[in-house]
Amino acid sequence: MDTTLRPVKAARGWGWALPAALFVLPLAAALWLGAAEAVDARAWSHLLSDTQFAAALAESLWIAVASTMLSATLCVLIVTRLHGTRAWQRVQGALGGWLAVPHAAFAIGLALLLMPSGFIARLLAGVAGWDAPPDIATVRDPWGLGLIAALVFKELPFLLWNVAAQLRRVGQGAELERQLQIAATMGYSRRTAWARLLWPQLLPRLALPLLAVGAYGFTVVDMALVIGPARPPTLAVLAWQWLLDANAATNHQGAAAALCLTALVAALAAAVVLAWHAVRPAARQRWTRGDRPSAARRFEWPWAGTGAAVYLAVVLSLLFMSIAGVWTFPSLWPSHWTLQAWAGVAHSSSTVGVTAVLAIVSASTGLVLAVAWMETAPAHWDARAAGAVFAPMLVPGVLLVAGLYQLSLHSGIDGRFAGLWLAHSLYTAPYAMVALSPAYRGFDPRYQQTAHALGRSHAAFLLRVKWPMLLAPLAAAFAVAFAVSVTQYLPTQFIGAGRYATVTTEALTLASGGQRNLAAAFALLQALLPAIVFGFAWWLGRRQARRLHAVAMA
Amino acid sequence: MPPTITRRRLLAATAALPIAPWPTRALAAASWPAIEHAARGQTVYLNAWAGSERINAYLQWAGSEAAKRWGIKLEHVKISDTAEVVKRVRAEKQAGRSTEGSVDAVWINGENFLAMKREGLLYGPFAESLPSYANVDTSGKPTTRIDFSEPVDGMEAPWGMAQLTFFADSQRVPHPPRSMAELIEFARHHPGRVTYPKPPNFHGTTFLKQVLLERSVDRTPFYAPVATERFARLTAPLWSTLDALHPVLWRHGKQFPATNTDMRQMMADGELLITLTFNPNEAANEIAAKRLPDTVISWQHTAGTIANTHFLAIPFNARAKEAAQVLIDFLLSPLAQARKADISTWGDPTVLAIDRLQPADKVLFAQGSMAGSVVQTAPALLEPHATWVDAIEREWTRRYGQ
Repeated sequence: MDTTLRPVKAARGWGWALPAALFVLPLAAALWLGAAEAVDARAWSHLLSDTQFAAALAESLWIAVASTMLSATLCVLIVTRLHGTRAWQRVQGALGGWLAVPHAAFAIGLALLLMPSGFIARLLAGVAGWDAPPDIATVRDPWGLGLIAALVFKELPFLLWNVAAQLRRVGQGAELERQLQIAATMGYSRRTAWARLLWPQLLPRLALPLLAVGAYGFTVVDMALVIGPARPPTLAVLAWQWLLDANAATNHQGAAAALCLTALVAALAAAVVLAWHAVRPAARQRWTRGDRPSAARRFEWPWAGTGAAVYLAVVLSLLFMSIAGVWTFPSLWPSHWTLQAWAGVAHSSSTVGVTAVLAIVSASTGLVLAVAWMETAPAHWDARAAGAVFAPMLVPGVLLVAGLYQLSLHSGIDGRFAGLWLAHSLYTAPYAMVALSPAYRGFDPRYQQTAHALGRSHAAFLLRVKWPMLLAPLAAAFAVAFAVSVTQYLPTQFIGAGRYATVTTEALTLASGGQRNLAAAFALLQALLPAIVFGFAWWLGRRQARRLHAVAMA
Repeated sequence: MPPTITRRRLLAATAALPIAPWPTRALAAASWPAIEHAARGQTVYLNAWAGSERINAYLQWAGSEAAKRWGIKLEHVKISDTAEVVKRVRAEKQAGRSTEGSVDAVWINGENFLAMKREGLLYGPFAESLPSYANVDTSGKPTTRIDFSEPVDGMEAPWGMAQLTFFADSQRVPHPPRSMAELIEFARHHPGRVTYPKPPNFHGTTFLKQVLLERSVDRTPFYAPVATERFARLTAPLWSTLDALHPVLWRHGKQFPATNTDMRQMMADGELLITLTFNPNEAANEIAAKRLPDTVISWQHTAGTIANTHFLAIPFNARAKEAAQVLIDFLLSPLAQARKADISTWGDPTVLAIDRLQPADKVLFAQGSMAGSVVQTAPALLEPHATWVDAIEREWTRRYGQ
């Protein structure tokens, strides 16, 4: 067996360097160029003396911390309560669909539902006797509650999906059941077992997804523009506005703000890690205290039902708004319907084609890079690569895009499909990596040993055994990467010199004209494309599971 | 619908600029037939704000005409903010790309024009040597030659006219307020139903300038650069008006809508009673599209409202300079201008002097009044000197922006 294995190991060698370089080199160059724009003393003094800076920063911190804490708490609560039940299966089944709805589209739908002239206010108007929409800030509220709600609804599925991926790792499921059983035989309730035994093991593994959630809440622009506070706006929105200003000095101020956001994300992450280490000894004492809290039966909130209802309501409100014409308050039904928006969509069908081709090409590239890395680099290197992998998620989009644009300009690929492909792949690769790695790294090594022992080449093993067995996670990772590509706005607009219109750029330019039904129609379209791919991935996964099951039975 | 939507900070540095009596003629000595010949087969990437599908459809029509007549391919690069284009051309210049630029023509005015002109990012002068320029109403519409106090100097060609206009549903607002004093009175009677976009949004700042001009006895100081020592005294009427107005505004004047397009939607929903626009035909256009009820009416303040012009310019590094000029010349022709002014197409007022046109061309502009259009056009007020904009925006943010 030894002789069969050696050539395989030798083949690894420096193979990892290629996927790493293809990803890291453009990323590092872009970050360098982006950060260089912020190296300007005057920009920093302008930033610090800007009257909106302090308030915007405080607002951003509050929104990021509140949305992350709330999402994490709900995630812990839901997994503890539902794991091992049929409801958990239902939640897992629905996650793909929820993840497929782009953040901006979700925010638009939620804002349409909640706004003072939205459907909910109209329902209340009959009871409250309003003849005009109430003068209350239900969206774009000064406390950022609307944005926090939208973030929680979008981030919770992402966290649950990460937990599910962790639990799906080979052997994890059985190990978890074993630990729960041991705890049960020792008289611990299921909830106590989760709290003292399983979460302390799981949470450190969720550190990076949680950090991504926090960083996203801190730096998000598109959702904040739709549903976030307006006076002051969040710091990320200010940075974005400054970076897009016609004035070069204001651009530098924007770059400084973006760099400031990046530094704060790093500081927040460090603070959380320190806090974790500080509370660990005290927590450990509590976990190992040995008392047996009673398992009080409480009312079981229908989590899956609630999630499904919110997402359904958001999608329906988008559909409704896309065809509503004149619709005076407080009537529940528009007096005119119009299909103009959908006629407009049909008219720009080429954008759907551009979006799909770009997403397929860059999602495939991202997936290939992720697989190539995991095939050539040992598992314990993943931690070393984490910084680079998570950079596109953690660095504020505006800063990275500014650098990517400079890079494309100097290499002459701006305004070309190749430039867009490169830029999108930088975003799809890390998501593909994160989505794939639990299943891929957890693949039972004994299959490889057996295949090689039977004299199969490594290529044959990959093509005939490993990849077919991992078809479901591969397809799911592709779907995630596809969705990521579809939702890119800034890189598409800048590196493509505006020449390649996708459903997302179209939706946002139309939204700038305040044409609500067109914006709603394109938001739906933005959700529909990833949903189709997620659906296909789900179908592939189920078919493959049946086949594997049939083989195992035979 | 002017393409500039955001800040105009750069104007802060603007000193008093003398207005050249006559701009120099085009730098290229090439004859028009030679330009037309060179244009054949070129592709023009026209970067234009694309927030309205009617404008997009109009440009599509212009593209098909240009293809038929001169074999020019028009690609509408859809953008949400013209500042993106300024940034892109500037980055291209810094990267040393003085030919083969990504932008051939751009829809522009105000701060973006000033930035591009100052930094040498524009090609020209070209506008006044276009054959169609002869019909531009430069005397009746002086803003075609002075863009926000900046002499145009032929570096951009006028494309359409804009004037601050209010509109509302006559079912809810049967007697619209026709002056600032009446608007304040109206707001007092309808608390929470009147507002303006948050400055430095383009329309928000315009509203402030309108208040300032209407509430000041002597307007002449506003057409000279702002003097710091006189700023407080001269703008006092503006702040006292706003102090009186804000408590009865939407959200008690503590929040403001982001844009006037948001306000249009809020007006349609009944959340606001009155909204404002720079396109006098916007309401008529929205009624034709069945997004507003046909009971909506438009008006301007009787004593006059702020007016300006929006333009088309060619970047210094454009790849298809000839085709861009031919296209812009076509967009200035009576045929294209009349179609643009047609309310069911776009409703953007023409820059041409209609009385100077051939009878056959005059007929193109004959359009009866439509539901929602302005019945009685008010006098046009010129924009205050550009330096006032930044000073007013700063003071507004200091007083009300936190």
